Parts: sequence; C-alpha cells; structure tokens
Amino acid sequence: MTTSAKNQYQAGDPRQIVRWARRYAQSRTISFLVQWVFIVVMVMGIGLAASLTQAAHQEGKTATFALSVIFMFLAALALVWFSVSRWSGELVFSITNWLYGREGYVSYSGNHPDKSLPLWLTGLGGGLLAYHLLGALLISFNYMHIKYMQPWSAAYMTPYLILMVVYQRLGFWAWLWPVLYGLHAIALMLGLPIRFGWELELFNIIAPIFTYGLIAILIGHAYSRYALWKLKSLTQTTIPEYDEAAPDGDQEEERAETPTNG
Amino acid sequence: MDDLDRTIHEPARLRILTLLSGVDEADFSFLLNTVGLTKGNLSSHMDKLEKAGYVTIVKTFNGRIPHTDFRLTPEGRSALEKYWEELDAIRAMHDARE
Repeated sequence: MTTSAKNQYQAGDPRQIVRWARRYAQSRTISFLVQWVFIVVMVMGIGLAASLTQAAHQEGKTATFALSVIFMFLAALALVWFSVSRWSGELVFSITNWLYGREGYVSYSGNHPDKSLPLWLTGLGGGLLAYHLLGALLISFNYMHIKYMQPWSAAYMTPYLILMVVYQRLGFWAWLWPVLYGLHAIALMLGLPIRFGWELELFNIIAPIFTYGLIAILIGHAYSRYALWKLKSLTQTTIPEYDEAAPDGDQEEERAETPTNG
Repeated sequence: MDDLDRTIHEPARLRILTLLSGVDEADFSFLLNTVGLTKGNLSSHMDKLEKAGYVTIVKTFNGRIPHTDFRLTPEGRSALEKYWEELDAIRAMHDARE
C-alpha cells in the first residue's frame, strides 16, 4: 500500500501527511478527558460506598450498611449507563466538538470504521465492573486487606486497558495510563514508599487513576498540538500550489477539452 | 505526465485526498483549517472529488447546525495509490536520465 502510514518516506514526501493526519486523529484526547472525569467520580463514589459498607458492617449498623450497598450498586449502574447510553455519547461528542471547534472533526479507528466495540470487549468492560465490585465486597467483609485494592484493580485494569488501546488504535499516549497504573501496583507490592497512610487509604487507588490518567491525557493533548502543526506545515509545503504564472491543473484540463479552430 | 489522474494531480485535491487517506473521516472545518483553502474553493474541490467517486459526503445536522463529513471511497484510495505509483515511476525515470 503506497499511502500506508507505516512506510518510511523521505523528508518532503507528501505521503508523510498520511502519518501525521493519523497521529493527530489518534491524539485528540479531550473526549477522554470528559470520560475520565466521569470515571473518577464513579470510582470515588464506589470507593466511598465501600468504606461506608465496611464501617457499617463493623459497627453493626444494618440500615447504613444496606444504604451504602445500594449506593455502591447505583454508582456502578451509573457507570454502566454512562458507558453504553446514546445520551452520554452525544454529550461527549458535543463537548469535544465545542472544545475542538476551530480545528474541526477527524477520526481514525484503524480497521474498525464502525467504531463499535466487539461483544467480547464490551463483555470485558462489564467484567471490569464486576471484578471491582467483588474487590470492594471482599474488602468490606475483611476477606482482603484494603492495601491490596490498587494491585487488585491493576490486575484486571492494566490488561483490559491495553486491549482497548490496541483495539481502538489509540496513540502512544494511551499506553501511559495502563502501564503506569500497572507499575504503580508492582511498586506497592514491593513496598516502595509511595503508599498513603491508612486514613487516606482510598487515595492509593484514586490518586494513580487520577494522576496517570491526567498525565496520559495531557501528554496526548500536547502531542496533538504538535501533530496538527506538523500536519498543516507538511500539507502546505510538500504539495505546493502551482506557480501563479503557470496554468493551473483545472485550466489546463479545460483547455485540453476545448477543441481548437484550424 | 499524461498518465497521471488529473483529478488527483491538482494540488488542493491531492492535499485533501492524501489527508483523507490517513483517517476514517474528517469534516469540512478540519479540511478548511488544514488544507488552507477558502470555503468556496474547498466546496468546489469536494464536489469534483465526489463526482469522480473518490469521496463520499455525509451531511447531517447537530441540532440546527449543518455538519458535513467526508470519507475516502475504496475507488478514491486505489486511485490515489495508483497516482503515487505512477509519480514514483516518473521520478525514477527522471533520476535515471540524470
């Protein structure tokens, strides 16, 4: 394929436009920022509910225990609804278009132009939720220490997000989140001094999600600025306009189609 | 040079097609912003590319605001690939002569 972005072309070859158009489309991270904010809020909601459930269970407060379990499931349902509903998709699309207004819309999804995820990957998304709920319940009933919450989460989240990145053909920035999240889990298990104290135990899962997600998204956004600059520059320099003194393509074409007299 | 597809050989249309070959779809604002044409010129080139069967135009509305997306067709993709192959061959011949 001559226009493949994988081909190496010399500097000044217009086919480099293909690669940079793709890199730009892959690095538009504002939509991820919007989704990320929602995910962080939901994770905090589930985490808070898990803490309440644990406290209520230990203190034998049945009503609070029941309410916090209901809240935990409602937060989980809201997360599922946000992930699959058309309304949330349109909301993210509108916010993204508003923020990228002057740049316009462009998309790249590799070999999956319909943009819908296959059933098995959607299923893994549901599994992610069930897995975290299971973790929250194990902690609530003291079957697992809360210090293992982040490594427990990373054991599923890291491979799941890597699959999503590969499937959706996202840019290099998207690898940062799952890789840093996985490395953080390893660091916690090795006992490196990066752990929040027991009174801020929830931050051991919230801070990595928040921080690494933000780092990845901001790096992606910064890279998209560079990619757009590079794309504009390549588009306008590697394929120059015709010299004004020379006939342009259309005029030449029209002349060729016009019969001459004599 | 006679073998080159004249629809593609025009610089603005070559820019548009090369850009579209790297992505799934792009809208009017993106092409306007990147290719550096006036709205009228861009519309005119897109009409020519659509008539040639090289792009598809999808017009929708976001509320009351019209939105136009463009996609490269399989015919457009193969015509562009053929164009680059022919241009490479011409360049190679030119280099050999020198």
